[in-house]
Amino acid sequence: MKDQLSALIDGEFDIESAEHLITSVKAGSELKTCWAHYHLIGDSMRGDTAMCHDFSQRVMSALENEPTILAPNTISETPDLQTNTGAASRVFSVANYKSSKFWSVAASAAAVMFVGVMVLQQQVSAPEQLAPVEIAQSVPMEYLQAHQAAAPNGAAYYIQAASFTEPQK
Amino acid sequence: MLRVASAVLLSALSLSTLAAEDAWLLLQKTAYAARELNYQGVFVYQNGKQTRSVQITHMNNNGQEMARNVVLDNGVTLGQAGQAGQPREVYSQGNNVVIVRPKNQKVVMEKRRGQNLFPAMLPTDLRAIEASYSAQLGALEMVAGREAQVIELIPNDAFRYSYKIWSDTEFGLLLKMTLLDSKKQTLEQIQFNQISMLNSHDANWFHPKIDITKNYEMQDATVTSPTDSSWIVAELPAGYVKVEHRSLVVPGKAAQVDQMIFSDGIASVSLFIEPVTKGMRPKMGHMLIGSTNICANVIDGYQITVVGEVPEATVVQIAKAVSFKKQTASNK
Repeated sequence: MKDQLSALIDGEFDIESAEHLITSVKAGSELKTCWAHYHLIGDSMRGDTAMCHDFSQRVMSALENEPTILAPNTISETPDLQTNTGAASRVFSVANYKSSKFWSVAASAAAVMFVGVMVLQQQVSAPEQLAPVEIAQSVPMEYLQAHQAAAPNGAAYYIQAASFTEPQK
Repeated sequence: MLRVASAVLLSALSLSTLAAEDAWLLLQKTAYAARELNYQGVFVYQNGKQTRSVQITHMNNNGQEMARNVVLDNGVTLGQAGQAGQPREVYSQGNNVVIVRPKNQKVVMEKRRGQNLFPAMLPTDLRAIEASYSAQLGALEMVAGREAQVIELIPNDAFRYSYKIWSDTEFGLLLKMTLLDSKKQTLEQIQFNQISMLNSHDANWFHPKIDITKNYEMQDATVTSPTDSSWIVAELPAGYVKVEHRSLVVPGKAAQVDQMIFSDGIASVSLFIEPVTKGMRPKMGHMLIGSTNICANVIDGYQITVVGEVPEATVVQIAKAVSFKKQTASNK
């Protein structure tokens, strides 16, 4: 299901068959988190990280202003602090800011933010209203047939696929 | 009696001297000929990518019209792969139409209301279309081995297509008709490939060819009269009037669907209205299938779908013109 969700976001999944996915996401299951994560990943990969980037920046500047984190630079220069904290290896150095570990933390924070925004947006708009789909992607055959049955145009009788009153299998 | 007079008048005139006014007289003759003559033939219908050959036998016994149409070939049906068109026979007596077709081990029969079926595509009362179209006589051409007079019905505005009609110069029977858009491109064509007049009044042919040892299943369209209408169509395209309003049960739909049919005398448009229910994906936009334009819109929580063999402008205008009365007492 997660694979399908990923495919849907990438536009590689048939939107008409994606009803169950959208329902699951809306239902607030684990998929909802995935939805946000996948979008974040996608945005980052495309470099389209307007919101996440700002947020990460703020996290970074906040960390910079945080003395307890910034203070221990290297073990050799501040041996006292090392003994005081007893956890120097887990404290970030300035050089580590661009390390993958930091970014994963920042990204997680951004993801949480992202999910929060998603939830807020959903609460603002009417929750049961699904976005309209283009008619060409979902042709209302039932109405085409009902029209031809009730208001036949010359010979439309002869090309009808099936009776519209017939239950579909 | 009027039509006898008009037929006499027509035969007295040379076709080449007919003016525009006489084009209407010829159309009138054509409208009656399809309903009053006894004939048998094969016609071909083309719409978009679809083609059907149909054998027709038509008889008028003392004012009682009887017709049998047998679809001679199958094609791929509209967008439903795996459900190729099934052989069917259409029987009509007066305005009652019964469609007979085999389904698994059964034979399914459906009752329909018939109107304007080929070659009786022109209404006998032409006054409705006189307001929206102008008629012009064209050349003489051969269709199905018969000489035919071409008559063009040209719309006065952009809300309808134009029609080209070939009328048998001897009998007045409609031999061919094409539906053309504003760029004169053919959208739909229906014509006899072979036609002959019947002299006998023997009606032995009026029974299904389909295996009668099978079980029959009657399918009535689940249609009721709408109790109340909470909506109106504010501004219909010029020339269109409401001809029918009904409620349908459509499989897969939670609520009943309101259907309203509009006609300008020759072209028909259906308007469907259903509430947008929870979990339903509303549809928007426009598309064209063969000669049929479809437009979908959402207004006040209702799905509006308009379908018709008319130009895009017509379905779009109707789809936008629907408005709903407020349920509460206070006017808004």
